[in-house]
Amino acid sequence: MLDTYQKKYTNNNRQFVLIDKTGIVLESDQTLMKIAFGHSIFELHPFFESLTSVFESKEEVNFYGIHIPFEDQLFIVDIKAAPVKEGLLLILKDLTEHYNSYQKITQTRNESVIKTELTVLKNQELAERERFKNSFIQNFSHELRNPLTSIMAIIEILGDTEMTNEQLQMLDFLKESNTNLRLMLEDTLSIGMIDAGQLQIQKGVFDLHKFFELLIFTYKAKAKEKGLKFDCLWDEKIPKLVEGDRLRLYQIVTNLIDNALKYTEQGSIQFDVKLNQKRANIVNLRFEVTDTGVGISEENKDAIFESFRQVKSNGTTKGVGLGLTIAKKLLLLMNSTIKMQSTLGEGSKFYFDLSFEYPLFTDSNSELSSKARRPKIEAKHLDQKKYKILLVEDDTYVQTTLFKILLNTNRFKIDLAYDGALVLQEVVTNNYDLILMDVNLPNLDGNQITRLIRDFPFKNIKNTPIIGITANAYEESIAECLKAGMQKVLTKPFEKDDLLKLIYKILK
Amino acid sequence: MQKSKKIVVLGHFGVGKTSLIRRFVTDTFSDNYKVTIGVHITKKVVEISVENEVSLILWDLEGTDDIATIRNSYLLGTHGAVFVFDVSRPSTFEHLKDDLKIISDKMPKVPLMVVGNKSDLVTESELKEVLDEQEISVDFLTSAKTGKEVNTLFLKLATLLTTDA
Ligand SMILES: Nc1nc2c(ncn2[C@@H]2O[C@H](COP(=O)(O)OP(=O)(O)OP(=O)(O)O)[C@@H](O)[C@H]2O)c(=O)[nH]1
Ligand SMILES: [Mg+2]
Repeated sequence: MLDTYQKKYTNNNRQFVLIDKTGIVLESDQTLMKIAFGHSIFELHPFFESLTSVFESKEEVNFYGIHIPFEDQLFIVDIKAAPVKEGLLLILKDLTEHYNSYQKITQTRNESVIKTELTVLKNQELAERERFKNSFIQNFSHELRNPLTSIMAIIEILGDTEMTNEQLQMLDFLKESNTNLRLMLEDTLSIGMIDAGQLQIQKGVFDLHKFFELLIFTYKAKAKEKGLKFDCLWDEKIPKLVEGDRLRLYQIVTNLIDNALKYTEQGSIQFDVKLNQKRANIVNLRFEVTDTGVGISEENKDAIFESFRQVKSNGTTKGVGLGLTIAKKLLLLMNSTIKMQSTLGEGSKFYFDLSFEYPLFTDSNSELSSKARRPKIEAKHLDQKKYKILLVEDDTYVQTTLFKILLNTNRFKIDLAYDGALVLQEVVTNNYDLILMDVNLPNLDGNQITRLIRDFPFKNIKNTPIIGITANAYEESIAECLKAGMQKVLTKPFEKDDLLKLIYKILK
Repeated sequence: MQKSKKIVVLGHFGVGKTSLIRRFVTDTFSDNYKVTIGVHITKKVVEISVENEVSLILWDLEGTDDIATIRNSYLLGTHGAVFVFDVSRPSTFEHLKDDLKIISDKMPKVPLMVVGNKSDLVTESELKEVLDEQEISVDFLTSAKTGKEVNTLFLKLATLLTTDA
């Protein structure tokens, strides 16, 4: 009695099968599958064919998770194969349910592992592409500096010649376009420098009120040209003198205002500065640029801060420029973030908070204001003699332009050299007042030549002033030039006036 | 009776072992991934030359990221082995050399084919990069999806097994 029940409850997932050495089924209890006696078990499923090797091994072998479809059912069984004197005893244990639930768990696990791996790979690839894109753009921008310098110089020389009004107007356009191009180039290079960690925040004391006044002066006119209003309001309690990076702050604010101007066709642009907090010797200020422009749609709100992204507006695509990206990155350097509110069709507001230290006691600000005065290019202090300049430059465009600029002043006698070896010869035979030298020269580069000159035993040669010219504006490469012994380094593209100013100053 | 040869197909999970066998046996492919648990065994008779047929018994093993954990009973009586990795997922071939060493220790003298699958997912040059990194030579670059090199792989192994015997 009891053993019938026992059988029912304990053995219903197990089937015992006895086969002979050739695989013929001798006996089977048929609990799971009804196997035909007297036939080869190999016909049941290809799994059994491999049992031949168990005969040879003479040891019990356990197989796990074998899938055996039988009639309309799929059995997933563990199989124990034990050699016995008749042949082989097989014990099939039905674990279909167990394996099915194990399958589900493994499915989830494997899928998530694979998905994670592919996501990581994808991100790596994107980062790689971003790096490549950036370095490509950086190199490309450097390459553009030479021709831009030439164009700029030629425009200026042309401006000094007789021209009709119409020609002058065209020249103005040309100059304007060239300046825009140059600014874009500078922006691109700034981004590269920020990304490469080569741009550092340099703090100094400056007059914040003057700073605001300058912005009003600049942007009132610019806005008016476009038929817009520009206004700037600041809290009276904001200290006049603060310590911070004036240049970068200027870059951030002007980028935001320029951007507002670009996207506003009517109405006004408002620049406000509010006092968040003033404590000990620290002020925290909020800067806000508000416009009544086209506004930014929800989907574009992140994209506008990305470099070289195009944003769709009114069905057309428009380059957003790099201004916002630069502002965002510079603010990050100053531990601040740019924020934005915008309604499509109504306008946008960009704002950020910044802290400044401010001196509690100040003598006067006379020094500051005198610094701000723009010096005129004057050469009155110089002798009336013609100064001898050696111009070392391998790029013929730049060479001719520089040559013309210098010649036009009627103050210099100019020799040309293209190559490092030539320079040294020239230097020894002529007594130059100044050497103007490209840093990137074939064979011997500008730094090497400078070092050689500085090592000369003769004082008059050794001490010849050297001005370097480079398209590479990175701080470290400029530092390298100075270390080699150059007095000053001018980065391309530069304006004619800057060059002359520098030359006059050094000759003094 | 036909000669029959047991071939085990192993490798990390998700590399396409099941898909390769499915392509070879039924010439079909599915984009859906269904994890194999335990082992699926199928059979296919191939004609190596006229009057020379061999029946391949293909053991499609559960994938694992640790080859050492494969149960020895699965490998018992194996005539040939195929190790599959996924060319689009470095984790499946990062330790190729070690994995192959474990396999040949477990099954000395068993011919082994090393297969990079999913070749349709990467470009020629990426593929070359992957291969150049390996000290081991890869025997086949397959795609279960397009069927590329799949039959060639199994036929080559079948030929190898029948001429050796
Ligand atoms: N594009 C592409 N996808 C493939 C290829 N082979 C397999 N896949 C896909 O990869 C996934 C995994 O394939 P499977 O054949 O199940 O992989 P497996 O090696 O058997 O996986 P486990 O059983 O878990 O070890 C599935 O989604 C397949 O569609 C291939 O050659 N190309
Ligand atoms: Mg599988």
